[in-house]
Amino acid sequence: MSEHTHKTKTADDPSFQLPASFGSLAVPLAVAGAALLIVGCLIGFFAGPGEGVQPARFTMSAYLVAFTYCFSISLGSLFFVLIQHLVRAGWSVVVRRVAEVMMIALPALAILFLPVIVIAWSPSGTLYQWGYEGYAASHGVPASMWAEKSRYLSADWFSVRSIFYLVTLSAISVFYFRLSRRQDETGEITLTEKMQALSGPSVMLFALVTTFAAFDWLMSLAPMWFSTMFGVYIFAGSVLAAHCAIVVVTYLLQKRGAIKDEVTIEHYHDLGKYLFGFVTFWTYISFSQFLLIWYANIPEETTWFYTRIQGDWEVMSYSIIFLHWLFPFLGLLSRHVRRRPTLVFAWAVYLLLIHFIDIYWIVMPEAGIKFGGATGLLTSLLITGGMVTLYVGGILWFVRCNQVKVLAVRDPRLPESLAFENI
Amino acid sequence: MTDKQEKKLHGTYAEFDAVDTLLAACRRVRDAGYTKTDAFTPFPVHGIDKALGIKPTALPWIALACGLTGTTIGLTMQVWMNTIDYPYIISGKPFFSMPAFIPVSFELTILLASFGAFFGMLALNGLPKFSNPMFTNPRFDRVTDDKFFLYIDAADSRYNHGGVTKLLGDLGGAHIHDVYDDDSSVAVPKPLFVIMASVIFLSLIPLLLVARMRVTTSDSPRFHIFFDMDFSPAKGAQSASSLFADARAMRVDVPGTVAVGQLDEELDFYTGIDMDALARQDKPRAARLVRALLYPDDPEAPAATDEPAVAEGPAKPADEPAKPADEPAKPEMKEEPAPVATADPIPAPATAAAVEDTTPWLKENPLALSLEVLQRGQTQFEIYCATCHGNDGRGNGLVNRRAQRILATAWVQPSSLHQDTLYSDAYPDGKLFSTISNGIRKMGGYSSQINVRDRWAIVAYVRALQASQNASLDDVPLDRRNELTKEKAAVDRKLAEQAEADRQRAEAKAKAEADAAATEAAVVEPAK
Repeated sequence: MSEHTHKTKTADDPSFQLPASFGSLAVPLAVAGAALLIVGCLIGFFAGPGEGVQPARFTMSAYLVAFTYCFSISLGSLFFVLIQHLVRAGWSVVVRRVAEVMMIALPALAILFLPVIVIAWSPSGTLYQWGYEGYAASHGVPASMWAEKSRYLSADWFSVRSIFYLVTLSAISVFYFRLSRRQDETGEITLTEKMQALSGPSVMLFALVTTFAAFDWLMSLAPMWFSTMFGVYIFAGSVLAAHCAIVVVTYLLQKRGAIKDEVTIEHYHDLGKYLFGFVTFWTYISFSQFLLIWYANIPEETTWFYTRIQGDWEVMSYSIIFLHWLFPFLGLLSRHVRRRPTLVFAWAVYLLLIHFIDIYWIVMPEAGIKFGGATGLLTSLLITGGMVTLYVGGILWFVRCNQVKVLAVRDPRLPESLAFENI
Repeated sequence: MTDKQEKKLHGTYAEFDAVDTLLAACRRVRDAGYTKTDAFTPFPVHGIDKALGIKPTALPWIALACGLTGTTIGLTMQVWMNTIDYPYIISGKPFFSMPAFIPVSFELTILLASFGAFFGMLALNGLPKFSNPMFTNPRFDRVTDDKFFLYIDAADSRYNHGGVTKLLGDLGGAHIHDVYDDDSSVAVPKPLFVIMASVIFLSLIPLLLVARMRVTTSDSPRFHIFFDMDFSPAKGAQSASSLFADARAMRVDVPGTVAVGQLDEELDFYTGIDMDALARQDKPRAARLVRALLYPDDPEAPAATDEPAVAEGPAKPADEPAKPADEPAKPEMKEEPAPVATADPIPAPATAAAVEDTTPWLKENPLALSLEVLQRGQTQFEIYCATCHGNDGRGNGLVNRRAQRILATAWVQPSSLHQDTLYSDAYPDGKLFSTISNGIRKMGGYSSQINVRDRWAIVAYVRALQASQNASLDDVPLDRRNELTKEKAAVDRKLAEQAEADRQRAEAKAKAEADAAATEAAVVEPAK
């Protein structure tokens, strides 16, 4: 065991603090991100993506892509934290704070969702077509069926549910964040016990909220389409993105000297396994969703995929098979890759980019735009880039102001995590 | 030790008290150049592989190879079965449907990769092993408790008994022990035989029960383990259903639709008529034919028979909607307007000439002729046609012979296919196809029983049959003539022998009768 002895550091060691260079980036990033976001929205609204597309609808859809992208990372991080407590994992303690810091962005993201709630009240169905009164008539939906549908898909009920989702998720993340930070000071084992005890109910609540949020916020973009697997599909992408973000953030922190000795190849190896596993899980879920719909071949179900094999979307749909599954699957298959932090980092960055394509592919076809629309993809990228920058800047600002440590320094399982080794 | 000397030395091990001394010893042994070594610990020790210098296992590669084999087997199997060997339409999907193949390929990948990992692990570890000489020393039992052991195999190229013993001792190992062959009895323990015999006997009981049930009868009803597999809720072909207004469980085609695999070819293929020419010549009739093809069950479709202008000649109207074969053919109406006696089965040449058949029949068989097509035609001919027309096509099949024997009055003898009026110059292939499809005189149509392709194959076979009955030796390929001549000679000889035998038998019989008569006469004579 002498090989893995760890130099004991005190909880106040400077390498557990956010590197100063990151802290100084917080405000510039947040400002630049907010500016980019606004500029992107303005370009989307006034320059427009092309003929036959409502600028407002396009801009709001692109905004929803950006929001979903950031939200999914925080959502996946929340799941990461919950599941580590649920299974009482020891290996992950050294990276859990990174996930906690991304998770605590959920209350802030709730504010960024307000424009979506507002636009849901638009009587012309600007973003969510179900808001338009004449939707049933113009889409040939029987009135009786529409009466049932619109009982659930109505602006007031949608707002109530959305607020419930946001409040629930925020409450869980604030609870876990607070307790984990309090442990930094006191090192009480009871705090860990408390977090573990509540992780079961929290995970159940999380599952329901994630599923219904996915139904309401993304699936209802195509009001007549339904897939019970859709929630899991969004969940799979979110957890994958969160693991990628954990790898990326940890790697960058280590580059700046923080938690340099704490996170080892062994942790990257495990995170790499999770990347590989969730790439496969995402594929499994998305293929299962596709296979059932393809096999049954019922028009009301196939419509969603049908939209996505029309015109230029077809290229994107088929590309996703390779980009989101085959390449990362083969790339992460080998243990030798997963034991090289730089390669794991590179794949994580790659998957974060592909995660954007996945969400873009889910949302934008419903906005009625063509993939090849001149400004379509670029404006969406601008808006998403702006929001991601704002998201990162905001998190850095929060961490800097609150002096949040980047490691759960007094977690009772920290020694286990530090000594962790794959066989 | 003396008797032990005769036994094979396997290696030497030493006992250690702590994991750290073991790891240090491992490293020293590795650095000393030993490769065939092993360490035994009560719990997994991280880094021991590296300390012992054990090379990374080949197991992942075995698992990968097995997994890829699984993928390949899964894909090839399904592609072969579903697209090549037994194309079968499932859910209206194409025969080659990648999405449908993925689940099976995926499962087979996982299965074989798991097998590869599991059995590969056993094989690489040399398991299962029924006995291990390591266990001959009772001290070694503490490996599952609190002791650590380092073992150096005698097969190691650097192994030297004295050197190894000294090295292990220097490294802090206690109780250095040489491992010799296990000297315990190799005989299988007796109780094991008893247990195995019992197991075999018990496993035979179900088989015996099954065997007994096969040969006995029982009054009690059958026990259904899987009730809904024995009694499928699916509707049978001709059963009733309360689901539909017409109470039929079997649904008819939606009017105007074409099922997959139907009407794939041009219309000519289904009618035996050059439809383009017919449309120019007689548009209404062409339209009726197309309609009858598209709406076979449509009661609105005009029946061919109430069309007065059709001059079809003896070959029946092709435009009649396909008619079940079991429905008695209405012979007279097909004859019209040919004034042929109904009882006359053979269309008289005069009749055919009298009413000119202007239908643009296809002159050639649209199938590409091959031996396979002809053999298919022969099979179908012998199933459907030969019962009446005979295997040779001379109109003397089994049904005809039976009808003659019982002197059936309404029976019309089937046509011989070997007559001038039925050869291809007088009776084009298309017309023959139409006759098979729709029937003629007393012969019913076979379109509902024989598929289109097979009907054309029968046409091809009938042409071959006709040729065969009018062939000379010149028609036979040169290289086969010899063989044929020999065969003919053999047959002739056999026939001659048989004729001779018959003649002799007849003679003998006549002679015997004559003798008998003479004897009788002789017997009668004295009585007088």
